[in-house]
Amino acid sequence: MIMLNSIDELLVHIKDVQQDVMELSSDSLLKMSAFMEKNSLEIDEEIATALQYQDIITQQLHATNEAIESMHKSIELFEEAYKEDEGLAAQSMVELQERLTQILAEARDKKSRFSGKHAPEHADEEIEFF
Amino acid sequence: MPLVIFIDDSETALASTRMVTASMPIEVKQYTEAQVALAEIKGGMTPDLIITDLNMPVMNGFEFLKALRDVPSTKRTPTLMLTTEAKAELKQQGKALGLTGWIVKPFNPQQLKQAITRVLRLPA
Repeated sequence: MIMLNSIDELLVHIKDVQQDVMELSSDSLLKMSAFMEKNSLEIDEEIATALQYQDIITQQLHATNEAIESMHKSIELFEEAYKEDEGLAAQSMVELQERLTQILAEARDKKSRFSGKHAPEHADEEIEFF
Repeated sequence: MPLVIFIDDSETALASTRMVTASMPIEVKQYTEAQVALAEIKGGMTPDLIITDLNMPVMNGFEFLKALRDVPSTKRTPTLMLTTEAKAELKQQGKALGLTGWIVKPFNPQQLKQAITRVLRLPA
């Protein structure tokens, strides 16, 4: 249980750090884009890509934070069950493991989905008209 | 000038589209929330082109598109999805909802300009 608590606390800490990273990276690029707009600087492909990477970074970190939040809630539920009845613990442990596996799979899927053209399999995507 | 609206919950994404389109002969309005753009459309705003993100809190791009098609004035307004998502099934879903096209981020500035020029039939 102590180990589970430590892992949970570590995950929540990672979530807090990631939240700060999202805000700082957004603030940083907004300052840069405000400077460019103020000075009417032309945006080329490299700069446009750099600005959009921030969006990808935010989506990736946000998805990871959602996964951490789900894991945190699942761990809390397990701890409650464990406190109430130790006999339930074995069953709850199985359920917790299944839930964590599912959360991890969803997070991995989002990592792939939110990478855009940064993902090698979509690097050559062209604008598609229907 | 034709009115183009951009909807994206990422302010940096909006900044990049704003800078890319600054030299184009279009009027640009930007929104970080699709429901706010929708309210303005219902209030009488008539965009000539809408470029929207897919994954947004409160109202996502598909929900916005469905609601947009229920408004008589925007039933056929050209709409492009600009997103990190590239799955074929999502593109199909968008196509079924009357989407005009799909752009995967990060976009190439020149290609985005060409897409806007093409949809609005602006002089090249």
